[in-house]
Formats: sequence, structure tokens, C-alpha cells
Amino acid sequence: MSEARPLEMIGATKWFGNFRAVNALDFSVENGSIVGFLGPNGAGKSTSLRMALGVLSPDFGHSNLFGAPPSLTNLRRVGFLPEERGLYKKMTPRQTITYFARLKGLSNRDAKARADELLDMMGLGEFAKTRVSRLSKGMSQKVQILCALAHKPDFLILDEPFSGLDPVNQQALEALIVEEHQRGATIVFSTHVMEHAERLCQKIVMMARGRKVFDGTLDEAFTALGRAVKVGVANGFDLSQTLAPAGYSAEAEDGVWRVNLPQGRDAQDVLRLAINAGAPITSFVPEEARLRDVFVSLVSDAEAQDLADTLASDKEAA
Amino acid sequence: MLSTYLVARRDYLGYVTAWGFWLGLLLTPVLLGIGILAPSLAASSQPTRYFTIIETGDEFTKAIRSELDSIAAELARTSLDPVATLQGEESERQQLFDEARQSGATTQEALDAAGGAPIELTLGDFVEVPPPARTAEALKPYLLGQQLIDTPEGPKPLFAALVVSEDGETIEYWSENLQSRALMDISRAAERKIAEERIFTAAGVSSRLLDDARDARRDVVAQRARPTSDAASSEVTLSDQAPFIVSIAMAFALWFLIFSVINYLLMGTIEERSNKIFDSLLTSVSLPSLLAGKLLAVLALALTLMAFWGIGSAAIGMFASQQLSPDFANNALTVLGAALHPSLIVPAVISFILGYLMYGSLFLALGSLCDTIQEAQTLMTPLIVLLMVPLFMLTFAISDAQSPIIEAMVWIPVFTPFLLILRMPTDPPMIEVFAQLGLMAVAAALILYLATRVYRAGAVHGAGVADVWAFFGKLIPGRKAES
Repeated sequence: MSEARPLEMIGATKWFGNFRAVNALDFSVENGSIVGFLGPNGAGKSTSLRMALGVLSPDFGHSNLFGAPPSLTNLRRVGFLPEERGLYKKMTPRQTITYFARLKGLSNRDAKARADELLDMMGLGEFAKTRVSRLSKGMSQKVQILCALAHKPDFLILDEPFSGLDPVNQQALEALIVEEHQRGATIVFSTHVMEHAERLCQKIVMMARGRKVFDGTLDEAFTALGRAVKVGVANGFDLSQTLAPAGYSAEAEDGVWRVNLPQGRDAQDVLRLAINAGAPITSFVPEEARLRDVFVSLVSDAEAQDLADTLASDKEAA
Repeated sequence: MLSTYLVARRDYLGYVTAWGFWLGLLLTPVLLGIGILAPSLAASSQPTRYFTIIETGDEFTKAIRSELDSIAAELARTSLDPVATLQGEESERQQLFDEARQSGATTQEALDAAGGAPIELTLGDFVEVPPPARTAEALKPYLLGQQLIDTPEGPKPLFAALVVSEDGETIEYWSENLQSRALMDISRAAERKIAEERIFTAAGVSSRLLDDARDARRDVVAQRARPTSDAASSEVTLSDQAPFIVSIAMAFALWFLIFSVINYLLMGTIEERSNKIFDSLLTSVSLPSLLAGKLLAVLALALTLMAFWGIGSAAIGMFASQQLSPDFANNALTVLGAALHPSLIVPAVISFILGYLMYGSLFLALGSLCDTIQEAQTLMTPLIVLLMVPLFMLTFAISDAQSPIIEAMVWIPVFTPFLLILRMPTDPPMIEVFAQLGLMAVAAALILYLATRVYRAGAVHGAGVADVWAFFGKLIPGRKAES
């Protein structure tokens, strides 16, 4: 019998007063996968993850961890990095990691050994006995991530793990996530920077204003968006007439035609048809699909604006 | 259990490794000692003050000198056996001192006769000097320090002048410093004696009659009514008083414990809230374990403080007992026996635990709602007022542990922990004691339950001080509709 899924959320709904933060959320996480939980600020990602862990109780619906409602027993298999970063300022990184590892069930000796191993791995060995209050923000964040990893969890839930990290540390964290996945951990991380998900995830769940707008693989996401190719032609050549008999639709803008690719067709077919028709081609660029575009295509204008606002505030913060 | 221990251990080590803890640990007894010794230190450090008396005869002058001599004699007598004096008893050496005084010996001679350790008997804080001028007007420059008088210490300003009018009808007290009233009080006592003497003489009665009457009075001896089965005599002993002394000490200790550690509970929780660490904790440890760990940590901290101070006090007490009286150790054992008697220690321990749980969980909940200590202060005020009530009750209990107000207030669960301890030496009906303990247990459970909910609201949902006021605002009729 196969092991129960690390996470299942069934109809999970959460209200804060009159505000519905999450609306009937259904999704599951398969063993050994990396799942991206995507959406702008305020989409309900953190609330969903807190419900998943039992920190918050859903008003309707429920969540299961490894086939059972969240409890300290199954939470011992979970490592969690909360969105709101926090550490005991007067403790050292070594003490902090040891403390959380012990709370997760490691013996004192194993917890200390694991803390030393992780600190060395992340290049923080020389700061092992420095008070957290004296560490940089990036270092503190690394320490907190290490706290989540300390007990070698089967399932890692990382809420906005890349937020606040510089590009070098973001890259290091991506490598760490891959490493943990190779170790055998199932990973869910939330982010509003969709490029991280594009690089790391097999599956994504997109949220907007408390509702799930997409749940599937990356391929399925790009398929949902629909692929296209941009073809530049000279002399006012009408490419749509050339391609329509073959089942392609095309729209022109400033001498560049955007040709939608139906399922099963690729850009080379369009190029071949255009050349055969004697079109004076000046440029040919297959459109690179981005998850951001997928998100925008799936949500309302207001929800798309949420993402734009979130990314804009990120830039400001940077 | 392990997670509770880990939380408690982390918090406890966090507290005791902070310099503020050690500062409090060491400074509290020092400040307490200074507070106790301050009056006598102030008195002993007071400079000698010079005064003069202007009168036509010497009746008032003699009376003042006699008063000052009596004060010096009383000091010398007390120095012979301070413990006996404190207990209202008279030692053999003090009897010798009194006999010598009655036979006309000076204070120093009486002290020598009683075999007292040589003490420096100064003339007191006040030294009489010959008048540098004969009228109050002429004395003013001396009183204001514009002119100085000759003294054994060199030139000094005149502190005060007592001027008896020529007709003997009025006595004026002149001084630049009217805040220090000791010499004025001595003057009034001297004048009272002169007046008594005058009236008695006029009535043809010796003034010694009043002293004789005082000496002849019978003592009112306290006797304790005991059941006839009780083998002990009715004489009131330290064994009778010890339970009351101990119960007051225990009630005060509980009060002091709670009052001294609430800051730690508050600050610890506020720090965790502002550090946003709750989510990490709550996925590793259950909320009840987390709260239990925190309460245990601060309890251990309080016990550390009390152990440190207790051992220190015991050491000082033992040292003092060797210096003061051989009976001290016996008395200490009597008090200890009273403290450990099941009728006191069992309710005391239960009250201690439940009282700490009630107040500790209240302050934890309060801390979970606050981001800063400034915010906490707005919520703390009602709780501090609540905590001050038992302290006032302690003062009632010192004079009458069976006061009706204590008997009534002991039924209010938030006061029960302190007041039940105070009542136990009065042998209250057991049914009442059990009822009060039960009520207190129910209240503690309820407060703990509510505090857990508030803690969850603060720690997990981010509820704050504004939400508390909004909650109470809704309880006011009409406010809900407006909001």
C-alpha cells in the first residue's frame, strides 16, 4: 500500500471577520514532488499553508498531513518556514537550530551535530556562536531555513522562502531545495515570483483573492495559456489569409503577426507555411511562455493588478 | 512533557543569562536593607545640633536636660539587650541598670554597673550651649548662620533657641529649620512634666504619685482559650503566634513572587510576538505545552530568586542569632515547625500553585496581545490594581486575621490564594476551606482556558490591544450598533 499523500486540502475555507481569506480550497501534494504555491500578496497562500499545518483551523473543510489531520505526531515529519521571519535574538544560531531540532524529537547530541553540519553546509560555521541579533538579515533567514530542515523532514513547507534574499542567496536556496528534494523530501513553497516555480516545480497551484485558479503541471499551465509565434512580414503581406486554411488564427500589430499555435502544432509548421506562401519574412520569434502570463490569462483584471502591485512593491523594496 | 521541559528550559536560561536578572537578584536585598536601615542611618548620620535656652530661672532648662538624659538612658538600656527590649521583656542586666539609675547613678555609671559593653554615650543629637544673646531678635543672626557660636567642634551655627518669657507664661521655639521637630517634641515633653509637677504640688500631692501609679499598674496578660483536651497551658507563647507570622509571610511571599515575575512573563511573550516566532513554535509544540513551559520557566525563575534570598536571609539570621540571643535558634525552629504544619503548608502550597496559575496565565495572555511594553502598560493597570488589593488585606490580617472583610473577600477566587493562607491559623471550618479551594481551582481552570484562547488569538491571529478595547466596547449597550 502506497504511503498517504503528504498534504491534502479539501474544501478549506477561512474567514477573518467579514473577509473570506480562502475559499473552498482543494489540492493535494504527491510524495516526492516540488509544488509551487503561487499568487500575489493577499491571495491566501499563507493562510492556506497555516491551515494545512493546523496553526489555523479552517471554518469549513479540512486538511490532512500524511493522511491524518494535523497533529504533533505528523507535524514531526514536517519542516516549516513561516512567512513572518522570527528568531530568538539572544540565542546563537547553533542554540536555535538545536532547540527546534529537539522540539521535533531529535536527541540533544543529534540535534547539536545536525546544527553544526547545517551551519557548515550553509557557510555559517564561523557564526555558530554569534548572537542572532548580530547577524545580517540574510544570515538570520538562512538560520531560520536551517531550523526547518534540522530534523530532516519528509515534507517541507516554505512560505515565501525567497523573499528578502539577495539574488546570490536566492540561487543558493534554490540549490538547497533541489538538494532536499534529492534527499527524498516533498516540498511545497509559496512565492509570488513565478520564475522560481518555473525552475523548480513539477506542479503548481495558483491562487488569487482566496480562490484557486489553477492546479496542474507546468506543461498543463503553458497549454492552458496557449502558445504563439510572432512573425514579422514586409509590404503589408496578409499572413492571416495564408494561415487560416491550415487552422491558425493570427492578429497583426505594427507589421508583426501574432499567430496562435493550436494543440499539436509547433512554430516550425507556421514558418514552413509562410515561406511556401512567399511571405516576405523579416523576423520570426516563438513566444516564450511564462507563468506570469498564465496567471494573467486565468484571472480577472483586478486580480492581475494584484500581482503587478506585488511585483512593483518588491522592486521598491529592493 | 519533553517539549514542555524544552520550552521551560529555554525560557529559564534566557531569563537567567540576562544581566537584568542578576541586577534584580542582587539589588533587591540591598535596596530592601537600605530601606530598613535608612531611618537609623539617617538618625546616626545626623550632625550634632546646638541649641540654647533663655529663661529667667532654670526650671525649664532642668526639665529639658532631664528629658535628654532620659533619652540617653533609654538608648543605653536598650543596648544592654536589644532582643529582650524588642520582646517587651527585661533582662537581668537591664534590671541592674534600672537599680543603679534609681539609686542616682548617671547613665554611664549605670551602664558600667550593669556590665554593659562600653558605648559612646554622646549627649545626643542636641547639645545645649550658653546663650550668645538674650533676646530672640539678637539670636536671629546665629540662627540664620550669619554669626557662629563656639562649640567643641569649632564655630557652628545655632540650630534652635528656646525662649521662656519673663513672666513665664509663654515658651517660644525659634529655629530656621522647622521641619526637624525632635527638639520641639522634647521641649513639649519637658513642659508637660513641669505642668504635671505644678498641678500636683498645688493639689498637695507628690508628683511621684503619677510615677508610682504607673509602676503599680497590673499587666494584662494574654491567655489563649484552648479545648480542655489540649494539654498546653493557656499561656500565649511563640508557638501560638508562629502560625500567624508564618501565614502573613507566606501570603506576602506569594504576592511578592507574582509581582516580581510578571515583568518576565510579559516581556518574554511580547518578545516572541514581536519576533514573530509563534508559527514556528506551534508547528513543533502544542499550545498547552507551550504555555505550561512558559509558566514553569517563570516559576522556576521566581523560586530561584526566593531560594537565593531565602538562603541569604537564613545565613544572616544564623549569624545574627549567635550575636543576639541563644534562644533565637529555638524560636526559629518553632516558626519553621508552624510553617511545615500540614494545616498550613497544604493549603498554602495549593494556593501557591493555583494563584500563580491564575495570575501567570493572565499576564501571559496579556503579553500575547501586545507588541510593545507601552501597549502592555495600558492593559496592566487593572491587573496591578487587582494585585494591590491582597496587599492591603495583609495589613488587616496583621492586626486581625479573623476580620469580617477578610472572611468575605476570601470567597473571591482571585484573592483566595493570599487570603486563605492568612485565615488558616484561625482554624476556619474545613468545609469552608474545601469550598474555597474548590472555587479557586474552578476559577484557575476557567482563567487558564480563557487565557489560552486569548493567547491563541494574540499569537496566532495577531489580535492586539485595539481588539481588546473593541471587545469591551461591544459590551457597552448601543456601541455595537454604532460601530
